[in-house]
Amino acid sequence: MKSIILIGGILLCSVAHQAIAEEQCGKVTIADMNWSSASLIANVDRFILEHGYGCEAELIPGDTMPTSTSMVEKGEPDIAPEIWSNSVKELIERGVSDKRLAIAGLSLSDGGEEGFWVPQYMVDKDPSLKTIEGIIAKVKTFEHPEDPDRGAFYGCPAGWGCQLSAENLYQALKLSDAGFDLIDPGSGAGLSGSIARAYEREKPWFGYYWAPTAVLGKYKMTKVDFGSGIDADHFRDCIAKVECAEPKVTMYPSALVQTVTTTVFAEKSTREFEYLGKRSLTNTQMNGLLAWMEDNQADGNIAAEYFLMNHEATWLKWVPADVATKVKAAIEAL
Amino acid sequence: MADFPWLSKFPKMDRSTLLEIRKYLDGTFRDFSREYGDLIESFFDPLLDFLIWFEKLLVQSPWWAVLLSITALVYLASRSWKLSLGVVVSFLLIGYFGMWEDTMRTLSIITVCTLLAIVLGVPIGILMARSNRTQAVVTPILDVMQTMPAFVYLIPVVMLLGIGKVPGVIAVVIYAIPPVIRLTNLGIRLVDKEVLEAATAYGANPMQRLMGVQLPLASPTIMAGINQTIMMALGMVVIASMIGVKGLGQPVLKSITNQYFTLGLFNGLAIVALAIIFDRASQAYAKRSQKHMQGGHND
Repeated sequence: MKSIILIGGILLCSVAHQAIAEEQCGKVTIADMNWSSASLIANVDRFILEHGYGCEAELIPGDTMPTSTSMVEKGEPDIAPEIWSNSVKELIERGVSDKRLAIAGLSLSDGGEEGFWVPQYMVDKDPSLKTIEGIIAKVKTFEHPEDPDRGAFYGCPAGWGCQLSAENLYQALKLSDAGFDLIDPGSGAGLSGSIARAYEREKPWFGYYWAPTAVLGKYKMTKVDFGSGIDADHFRDCIAKVECAEPKVTMYPSALVQTVTTTVFAEKSTREFEYLGKRSLTNTQMNGLLAWMEDNQADGNIAAEYFLMNHEATWLKWVPADVATKVKAAIEAL
Repeated sequence: MADFPWLSKFPKMDRSTLLEIRKYLDGTFRDFSREYGDLIESFFDPLLDFLIWFEKLLVQSPWWAVLLSITALVYLASRSWKLSLGVVVSFLLIGYFGMWEDTMRTLSIITVCTLLAIVLGVPIGILMARSNRTQAVVTPILDVMQTMPAFVYLIPVVMLLGIGKVPGVIAVVIYAIPPVIRLTNLGIRLVDKEVLEAATAYGANPMQRLMGVQLPLASPTIMAGINQTIMMALGMVVIASMIGVKGLGQPVLKSITNQYFTLGLFNGLAIVALAIIFDRASQAYAKRSQKHMQGGHND
């Protein structure tokens, strides 16, 4: 008799548990990447999932490579709100084909903008620096910190996906023959630090960077024109790869910036997955937000609150009406 | 409770005030770097020139000449065939696995960093040992240097000096110098008072006491400090490469971000090999000179 009651009790419990699971989305982990725009999106996701969908959302600090690896291998965290797919192309493709990762949608609808840049003040003084020919002609202007005879081209940090493309384009543009040395800044912070140093003292700088970023929001830079147009196929098949025997000059095509989740999450939480698919910002919007963050030295959390309060029209399109009411109520309670 | 919100919640500073402070300090630093950046950079120019010259010397000389001189140096310091053979084997392996150039770059920058740390650290340690007040001031500074996360001061240094060797050397020295300072201080303070009194009784002046009594007696402790400094300097190689210092740190960084475990392991082992060679050679040298000294006492 006792055992029947026990079994009955267990059954009841599990039924009740299932009912709750369908209603609530449960525990969700979101990767909070260590750069501003991704952190902003992660915090917006956390707020909306927590207050609008009743999830128990938690942010986990991360970086592209460790986060995506952990998602593929361990199924954690559930959501990576801003992955620059080019930089971890193989891993993401493998994850999707192995049914471990699901792509929800674009976090930045215009895609990321990569290129070689020079500061605006240099172009203002000498408009020829807008093109690569102009830069090659003035190689001596871009002083190398360790070799007075060469010019400096700041490439992408070691190990990043963009290191390949920057290096292949450096070869395609024959910058080495022109007198430029490819300098490895070692880290994202090293690269942005070198821009900040140049900018604060109006010194010459020439190198790789990408947008939308707080750095390019704060320091006005001009993208150097290679005069080649975009050859997206060649970029994908050669420039972005290690084995690129004959790199040809091409501008950077716009980079895919995606929201990636684990397959488990995508299948379990369909409503939330749908929201992630719709949640997307244009570069103009993102640049504005990043500039606000920079001016106010805001972190992702505060910027997310600012965004939700002041850009209602944008995020209302991402969620159904019932969720919107709950989120609004939560914002008012702030 | 409602009347006293500070009881349940920490009464923190108003966000806008905090923001003002942060912006003000950042702005001040920016103005400072704009104003004095070039001046400070030119101050470090001789160091940069030396670093470049030394690296070129190691990288561009034929490998057998470099290997020969390193082995000779190690042998002169240690008088040990075993250690010298170990040096030859490990450098041959490093070269064979294609890490020669990176190893030379790291070797050059670490040599300079270690020498700088010793040249600056030992005198500071001596000063600390002489006055309690100096010790009270320097100790917390050393604590900050050892615990402050490197990137907190690295990025301001990059804004002042750009990326490359000089900021790398500064970062490594800041991180690696505390042990040699602390242990020099400790070693001198542990020298027997009576021995010092005896030296004074023989009419030794303070300089003679320092050079003839305190430093030799403290030398085992000081050598332990130098050993720690060398180890910590090599441990910083990867951090230094994050601000553009070429060498073994870069492939390590690259392999971390791309998960090339074997590449990471090889370069990591090359760093370990350098550390062990540096350490064994310096310790053997110290032991030899101490044996000499102790022999004089005992016989």
